[in-house]
Amino acid sequence: MLTCKEFDDFMVDYLDDDLPAWQKFMCWLHVKMCRECVHFVREYQRTIALGKTAYDAPDEPVPDSVPEELIKAALAHRDNK
Amino acid sequence: MRMAVAPDSIKPASVGAPGADAALPPLDTDEKELVECLRAGDERCYEMLLRGFGAGVLSVAKRYLRSDADAADCFQDTFLAVFESIKGFEQRSSIKTWLRGITVNQCLMRIRAQARRREESIEHLLPAFDEHGNRMGSCTSAQTAATVDLIDTAAMQALVREKINELPDTYRVMLLLRDIDGYSTKEAAALQGISVVAAKTRLHRARSALKSLLEPIKEHLEYHADM
Repeated sequence: MLTCKEFDDFMVDYLDDDLPAWQKFMCWLHVKMCRECVHFVREYQRTIALGKTAYDAPDEPVPDSVPEELIKAALAHRDNK
Repeated sequence: MRMAVAPDSIKPASVGAPGADAALPPLDTDEKELVECLRAGDERCYEMLLRGFGAGVLSVAKRYLRSDADAADCFQDTFLAVFESIKGFEQRSSIKTWLRGITVNQCLMRIRAQARRREESIEHLLPAFDEHGNRMGSCTSAQTAATVDLIDTAAMQALVREKINELPDTYRVMLLLRDIDGYSTKEAAALQGISVVAAKTRLHRARSALKSLLEPIKEHLEYHADM
């Protein structure tokens, strides 16, 4: 059976479902047997989800419009080239 | 020269994963007209592009760069790059997706060009294993059944972004490219000039470090959930 360290090395590919069948099975088996890794994977996936959602947030600093001086500077920048 | 499209008619396409460009429908008529107008060198269309898509460009620049001044410089460099490369735009993606790719590239160039600060180690945030390869300390903060949906709280969303910003650039950029902006591992590796294997390692370390950084927030929320 894989050790936790070995499973950890495969984690990105395992979660992407990007492992050959044998390695995938070995990872699956490890997760079935290891409470620590089950907990880690759960929190790891939650972290990924939190990251994604943090930037979907309504309060993400997406400006409604670009400051006028920035528009003018970009236009001038182009004219100078 | 005629004004090809009115500013209000510029309809940025929905944000999709960068890797999914091939599946996007062809540009709509308004975008095609805008591209033609830009290729013709019409100053008004360039301004229209700035006003119609500038907010999105600025938002991406602010996400990758740590200062507003850098984001503003990146904004200018992005639109200059657009102006210089519009003739080569093959229109296989929407203008918005194309612009985002250019913006991310400009950000990464700027991050690389800046005097590289000595990045802080994240070793203390990574998973620990004993001499037999067994995971240590993963269950120290027990997850309660009453898990709070962090995502409902705007303040928490800001906190998560703050924690992502605490990561050293190497890891922060990898996380943004792959998990936030939806680039594939291969695309993210190419953008950073590293191998796919290195990109996967970097991504795993970034996620693991962020997980550790978020632990205190999760505990705090669980505390409030019990109240």
